[in-house]
Amino acid sequence: MKFTKQIMGLSVAAAMLSVVGIAGASAANIKIGIITDRVGNSAAWAKPIEQGLEMALKEINNSGGILGRKIELLYESDQSKPDVSATKARKLIDAGVVAILSISNSPSTQQAQTVTMKAKMPHMTPANSAGYLTTKLKNPYFFQMGPLGSTQIRTLMAYNKKNNFKRIGLVKDNSGLGTYLGRIFKQSLEKSGAKVVVEQTIEIGSTDAIPQMQKVRAAKPDAIYHSGIVVSAMSTFFKAYHQLGMKQPILGSFNLSVPRYLQVIPGMLEGVAFIDAFDPDKKQSRAFIASYKKAYGKTPFSLPAYGYDGLHVMAMAIKNAGSTDADKIRAAISAIKGYVGVLGAKGASVNFAANRAGFSTQGAVVRVIKNNAHGPVVHSGY
Amino acid sequence: MTDLLELLVSVGEAGCIYGLVALSYLLVLRPTGIINFASGEWVALGAFAGVTLIAEGKLPWIAGLPLAVLAVGLIGWLSERLTVRPLVEGGASVLSPVLALLGMLVVYREAASLIWGVDNMFVPMPFGFGRVEIGPFAGSSQSFFILSVTLTVFFLVWLLFEKTVWGKAFEAVALNRMAAALMGINLKLVAVLAFSGGAAIAGLAGLLVAPITSVHFLMGLPLAVKGFTALVIGGVGRVEGALLGGLLLALVEKLTLRYAPIPSGFAIGVPFVMLILFLMLRPDGLLRAKGGS
Repeated sequence: MKFTKQIMGLSVAAAMLSVVGIAGASAANIKIGIITDRVGNSAAWAKPIEQGLEMALKEINNSGGILGRKIELLYESDQSKPDVSATKARKLIDAGVVAILSISNSPSTQQAQTVTMKAKMPHMTPANSAGYLTTKLKNPYFFQMGPLGSTQIRTLMAYNKKNNFKRIGLVKDNSGLGTYLGRIFKQSLEKSGAKVVVEQTIEIGSTDAIPQMQKVRAAKPDAIYHSGIVVSAMSTFFKAYHQLGMKQPILGSFNLSVPRYLQVIPGMLEGVAFIDAFDPDKKQSRAFIASYKKAYGKTPFSLPAYGYDGLHVMAMAIKNAGSTDADKIRAAISAIKGYVGVLGAKGASVNFAANRAGFSTQGAVVRVIKNNAHGPVVHSGY
Repeated sequence: MTDLLELLVSVGEAGCIYGLVALSYLLVLRPTGIINFASGEWVALGAFAGVTLIAEGKLPWIAGLPLAVLAVGLIGWLSERLTVRPLVEGGASVLSPVLALLGMLVVYREAASLIWGVDNMFVPMPFGFGRVEIGPFAGSSQSFFILSVTLTVFFLVWLLFEKTVWGKAFEAVALNRMAAALMGINLKLVAVLAFSGGAAIAGLAGLLVAPITSVHFLMGLPLAVKGFTALVIGGVGRVEGALLGGLLLALVEKLTLRYAPIPSGFAIGVPFVMLILFLMLRPDGLLRAKGGS
């Protein structure tokens, strides 16, 4: 009995010491919350963005932090579920973060906003592209830093016009985002004077896409737009395209900027044009590429840059605010003008002064896949 | 005409994959009476075995294929030993192992995501990618490989059931378990062979389709649905019914996608329509069991 009491006493003391220890260590740190996705549908996108966040974190802390304090990132995974995202936002606020960055999917970020708006918590997404994030809710505490979907589409349409593609074959998969992007592609193409002569859906889990691609081949389009995002459907699409001896140029969404497709369907994406927000020839990008290679031993693509720029902008805002006060940080983000980060075409910058969606409307680029890698920029702006 | 001949190769390829998954269901269902909804996960495990052995282990297909099939067969054996047999021996109803295997579906899936991750993975084709023309028929090298392997497997399984005492034992258990046991047939051995064989066949389907679709921990479910539909169409009583059901399902599916004047998104519902129609109009499927079971 005495022994049990001793053990209990020691345990309580140890627990108290550890709590004091944690509080002592983190009191000096400025906590920024990250709502990510580690197991859901957006995990493949969120993971590389986290790498960029960690790179920026190291850079900032190694150069002395901000306001004389180190930054600490608190991660929460929302599994790309909006309701979970809102709960995670609440949890991060309770943990004492001074701002939140959302890198999961757009619907989840929108739901998290309902919490951050009420709590008057500075909240930014460096990655989400849905235009509604800054228009549906009048939330002065929310900012969007990546290129909007509409900017990406307009840029791709400008490239389409330059190439005079009039008759379009549109292929999508039956995922939610693939279907949505297909609809946006169609509307934008028809608005720009092109005609969608054939539209096909590839089912997720199908063993090939021969019938659909035969239909596309029969319609003799000038170019094929692919709005799908699911790798297996993308794989069957490209295999059918090559198997049927098709030669039409293929244009795709920003999803093709994820290198997983190049690893799973190696050699089959040559010449494919896709939307991106990353110009590897830009001065800032070259420095970023060198740092990333040093940290991870491989060449980066655009997604890590979203996290990298996002944390740098948030840190800059806290520094400019001179305080961790939410209203001061919000005002400092609003005042950011002419920020040139890694993302964006040459000459593009981030401006939150006029719009809470601060990415330049001329900042998206079109790149072409070459030698099974993301090749050079062939077009920018619209 | 070129289109139709290309399409027939595509039908053959898809039909063979559906047929193999249907055969996996049939091998378990026939002697045990258990519908194994985890068949789709066995398909995924076969594909992941291909990732480990062929893509990452750099084994040639000739070595990787039997090893992958054996590995999934072993998982089937373990499933029977650890999940199904304790329930059967405990006197549980036939629904209990079905539900237990549904639980195993989640276990397999989550284990795969933990071991291999959530990203799609690559398995190379045994003969590289390219258009192959055999007479008037054209397809990819993988299409013809799938056709050759599947037809060989079905022939061997058919031989096993029709010409060997082992096959007769399976059939006897399917017709009357009690009588078979009284005749000295080892029911436990039959069950373990059914699960191992079913898993091996499903794993083979996954490995064969992996170079076309890539490998993902969620890849099993769509093929499980197609395989089950093929089983219902062909009938649960005969080995050749599984292949017939797979080919017929693929034929209707592909012809609808290619020629029916409806959006391709709607054609995705074809297997479900066929499933409902067969369950309503011909629940025994196209081929009935020889013994009338």
